[in-house]
Amino acid sequence: MSAGFDWGRFLATYGTALAAVILFGFFAVAASNFLNPVNLLNVLKQVSFLAILGLGFGLALTTAELDLSFANVCSFAAVVVGGLIHHGYPPAVAVAAGLLVGLMAGTLNGLLVTRLKIPSLIATLATAAVANGCAFAVTGGIAFVGRWNPDFLALGRGSLLGVPVLILWTAAAALLVLFVLKQTRLGMDMVFTGENDEAARLAGIKVRRMKLLGLMFSGLAAGLVAVLLTATLNTAAPNIAADYLLHAIAAVLLGMTMFEPGRANVPGTVVGAATIGMLGNGLVLMGAPYYVQDIMLGVIIVASVALSASTLKKAAFGL
Amino acid sequence: MTPLLRLIGVKKRYGAVEALSGVDLDVQQGEVLAICGDNGAGKSTLIRVVSGAHEPSEGRIELEGRPVAFASPLEALKAGVATIYQDLALAPRLPIWQNVFVGAALTRRLLGFLRVLDKRRMMAEARKYLARLKIDIADTGRPVERLSGGQRQAVAIARALRWNARLVIMDEPTAALGPAESRQVLDLIRELNRSGASVILISHNMAQVVEVATRVAVLKSGRKIADRPVEGLSADDLAHLVMVGQLPQGRPQPKAAHGAA
Repeated sequence: MSAGFDWGRFLATYGTALAAVILFGFFAVAASNFLNPVNLLNVLKQVSFLAILGLGFGLALTTAELDLSFANVCSFAAVVVGGLIHHGYPPAVAVAAGLLVGLMAGTLNGLLVTRLKIPSLIATLATAAVANGCAFAVTGGIAFVGRWNPDFLALGRGSLLGVPVLILWTAAAALLVLFVLKQTRLGMDMVFTGENDEAARLAGIKVRRMKLLGLMFSGLAAGLVAVLLTATLNTAAPNIAADYLLHAIAAVLLGMTMFEPGRANVPGTVVGAATIGMLGNGLVLMGAPYYVQDIMLGVIIVASVALSASTLKKAAFGL
Repeated sequence: MTPLLRLIGVKKRYGAVEALSGVDLDVQQGEVLAICGDNGAGKSTLIRVVSGAHEPSEGRIELEGRPVAFASPLEALKAGVATIYQDLALAPRLPIWQNVFVGAALTRRLLGFLRVLDKRRMMAEARKYLARLKIDIADTGRPVERLSGGQRQAVAIARALRWNARLVIMDEPTAALGPAESRQVLDLIRELNRSGASVILISHNMAQVVEVATRVAVLKSGRKIADRPVEGLSADDLAHLVMVGQLPQGRPQPKAAHGAA
């Protein structure tokens, strides 16, 4: 009758999170300069962007829709923000415009999916292409860079009581999403929609609205990252966020192997983003060629999905 | 006493096909009415019309004497008519309480202005609904996929109770279950009935109908050909009634007064 510690369940729930900690330790020992504060701050930036994008992608995924447009939407929003700042508009205007671009792209995705019944995989791919084109149209293919308004740059580079603002932005986004998903009817309805949309509809949940909102959140997250990215880098190029597509998706999928195996979840996404972020940085520091990272991303994506879909669930719930 | 549900001359056509050709049917308060018939007899169509999934082409439906026209299963649910589908409409990976309270979550105030989920109350109430069905599950935070087939059925019924269903329609609830779990479902139907709800049971299993139903209506080719109390019938009698349209020779025939068409 002794209720011994359930190692199988523990590993299934926290195994990959543990692996992330081990990876951190490995880089700390093996990659010189990894623990250098300047380097850690660099990692932190990447992690913040990945985490916020991943939280948005995860909300869309929660309602069983894929958003493959967020990286291009983020780039487009970034050149809009950068362009406005570059031409001397007040930061508030630029920030609002960036968020609006993201929100509108998300809304477009949502309407394509819920009204025109286009599968999100296709609809968001199309939106990605359009956003990519728009980003190049806005800039003419070049990047905005220059001496920008310091109030604007502080949004990405500043710190509050010694804490970099990017950490605060990320923490705020994570807590907000966590609150919505776990504490509100909206979150409960979104989750149920993703698990069984027909049953949700029969119980009176407005399924189309949930999916629309999921995709809108994803677009809004892309808009927010566009602001933070341009403020942090003091530049806006039409492909500025292109790399984040695979990175953020890998972060979310990796996150789905921990805490709540099989489901996009907030702590998992944050840990996943941290893992992907330090992996890229650590590999560079150790002198690995740039393409190694891409290969590892592909492996992580496949391995995560395979793990969260079967083995982990079995181990965790004895099915 | 006014019947809980009354169908008057209900017809349903799909294009040129008449799936229901004028069915009159009463469901009394507190009874378990079995609806039997071969495939294509019109059982499923009848259920779709009553549950609000389809609108009748002709005829009327009254709930407690008031005419109703459900535009959707949700409207029927809100009026107290819950349908439990064969797939149970559950989200297997989500906890029991979320499956019971889907679409009708309980909330509480946080800091006076935020409305947040009242999980503790939903877990406790889900446990109470299940207890009403004599199903004892202490932890309603468990995912539904870890439950037995019978327990899952109980969760689906608990959801109907959450909506204060007075009439629960169950479509072949034991079709996919083994003997032990079927037994559990029959017990559930009895407990549900005892807690005050009327039940319409669609079933091919005559032994189960005889065991749990108080009355049986038989459909054939979109018409009701028999409607009588189950008392005194054997499963074989019932099978004969479904196939031939009347009881075996030497058995009392259905009473004309009870509306055999």
